Amino acid sequence: MIISLLSRALMMSTPLLYGSLAEVIAERSGMMVTAIEGIFLMGAWGGFVGGYLTGNAAVGILMAMFCGLVIASIYGCITIFMKQHQVVTGTALNILAAGFCTYFQRVLFGVPTTPLKITPLANIPIPLLSDIPVLGSILFNQNFLTYIVYLLIPVVYIALYKTSVGLTIRATGENPEAVDVAGIHVSKVRFMVVLFAGIMGGLAGAFYSVGYLGMFTANIIGGRGWIAFAICFLGNWNPKGAVIGTLVFGFTEAISIYMQSIGGGGYFPNEFFIALPYLLTIILTVARKNFNVPAKLGIPYSKEN
Amino acid sequence: MNARIKDLIITNFLAIMAGIILSGVVLIFLGVNPVAVFGEALKTMLADKYTFGDVFLKATPLIFTALAFAFTFKANLFNIGAQGQFYMGAIVAAAVSLKLDGVLPNFLLLIIVCILTLIAGGIIGGLIGYLKSRYNANEFLVSMMSTYVVLALMNYLLRTFLKEAKGEYPQTDALTRAAWIPTLLSGTRLHMGFILAVVVAAGVWILLYKTSLGYRIRAVGSNTLASEMSGINSKKVYITAFFMSGALAGLAGFTEVNGVQHMLIQDFNTGIGSAGLGIAILANANPIGIIFAAILFGALNVMGNLMGRMPGVNIPSSIIELMQGFVMIFVIISYFVRFYLENRREKRKIKKVVAQ
Repeated sequence: MIISLLSRALMMSTPLLYGSLAEVIAERSGMMVTAIEGIFLMGAWGGFVGGYLTGNAAVGILMAMFCGLVIASIYGCITIFMKQHQVVTGTALNILAAGFCTYFQRVLFGVPTTPLKITPLANIPIPLLSDIPVLGSILFNQNFLTYIVYLLIPVVYIALYKTSVGLTIRATGENPEAVDVAGIHVSKVRFMVVLFAGIMGGLAGAFYSVGYLGMFTANIIGGRGWIAFAICFLGNWNPKGAVIGTLVFGFTEAISIYMQSIGGGGYFPNEFFIALPYLLTIILTVARKNFNVPAKLGIPYSKEN
Repeated sequence: MNARIKDLIITNFLAIMAGIILSGVVLIFLGVNPVAVFGEALKTMLADKYTFGDVFLKATPLIFTALAFAFTFKANLFNIGAQGQFYMGAIVAAAVSLKLDGVLPNFLLLIIVCILTLIAGGIIGGLIGYLKSRYNANEFLVSMMSTYVVLALMNYLLRTFLKEAKGEYPQTDALTRAAWIPTLLSGTRLHMGFILAVVVAAGVWILLYKTSLGYRIRAVGSNTLASEMSGINSKKVYITAFFMSGALAGLAGFTEVNGVQHMLIQDFNTGIGSAGLGIAILANANPIGIIFAAILFGALNVMGNLMGRMPGVNIPSSIIELMQGFVMIFVIISYFVRFYLENRREKRKIKKVVAQ
């Protein structure tokens, strides 16, 4: 039971990891990707549509990445090149994405009599590793997207702290003038980073539709994009913090799903467990003291002219 | 006319048109003639009294949620949780109305319910403000998450304490007429709540621009440090602004439950929090502008619904969100265009002066 719970926790953590790692990188460059909820949703929808129409999950995942990219590029254009407010632009895009997905779902499939289904990604046990007692079945019996995330964590960490690209990204968030003086295009750095976040967010969305549920509904994301956004804050804009935060949330969500399935043990209403991840965010936000906010987070950069 | 105001009107108009035209393009995917459909919807909306009333009916809660966002925005704070505060107001409105239904005369009951919803929304908002000022918690995140918590609370109450007597659906019993907000225009659903919304919007304008509290709020918003140096207690301002903001959103719960639904239903009006944000932006957070922007969104909403009901075309109601989303995006872009135009004018002026 514990093993299946932990395995489930890890599974639920996967999309949040994609989202929060993307958000960490983006926010380190000064860009809050507030369209993340919409990016997740578009990813989930794109993944489903691609997977359903071709019958090939890989196409679905690619489609999801593309959808995330599209939203992110609109977001980037408006916030970076037109210097508009990030929270406001994000909210508008989230509404637009919600309308777009449900509308085109209808355009493509009409009103189906039975819910449209695709086969969710299968768990791939990794030979040898999955035979390790306890840990093996938790860590190495997951689906393809979770394995990618294992690779992504060190890659993001190294890229951010050990490479010149990472230094540029971090400097862009702390002191864009210096980056500009060094001859690097601030807007370009930020735009690239936002596009990257879009692709990752799309993957996260695909996890819900293609990787887990095998279907698409309008409330498939239900605020989880925002939780990824919150994890980035709570993890102190640090990939390590994001990983820890995500695992805490994934575990909460797994417990929540488990408790709902057994009817809350009779003591707590189901709604309490549904609200648990959100309550946890509030409590952690309040409890965190020393934030290491990137100095120029959310502030558009403009050269004096 | 002042060049700046001219820009404002022209760019906003173009932005709204661009949003609507793009939504029309989207309709082509359904094999529908967008011009015919839009024309038909517009004609029905303007000709049919009942539908026309609905425009203002739909605008009423949006005015409140937009004011809620605008109020904290002036203090450079973000209340993204208007939806949750609205739900809190709705819960209290339904519970209190059901309790007092038939006990008190209509007028007295409405006043009590109105005040209690205001307080209910205000408490949620004030709590967020308190966490912000006491623990320096990020208000953006806390308010965002509070919506989901209140939603869970509402679903719980609808499943248990507030569930209808029949016990069939997760909704409350219907309020009797004694608890309804009186109709404003006979033959429509439009109720006095719209007048309340307009009055409140005017009140918010006065509060923000003509009182010392409003001055303090705006001062904290434009420069927290400077306002603290001049003796404004910014922490107090955070709590006050958030309380007011929550109270405004809570009022939307009152007008929706007592004025429109006459009961509390699960998952109703899910989009008014975020639409309120869009409206506040469209109006540049000006309370008077919000009234007009909300009416525009109300009209989009009604037109979307009309299109959904048209025989033979089968347009999903998500066209409303699409229209609102497109309009918002273009309005945001229009801010950039205005900034650009303004800049160019300034540069020309300077050139002229230099040339002389």
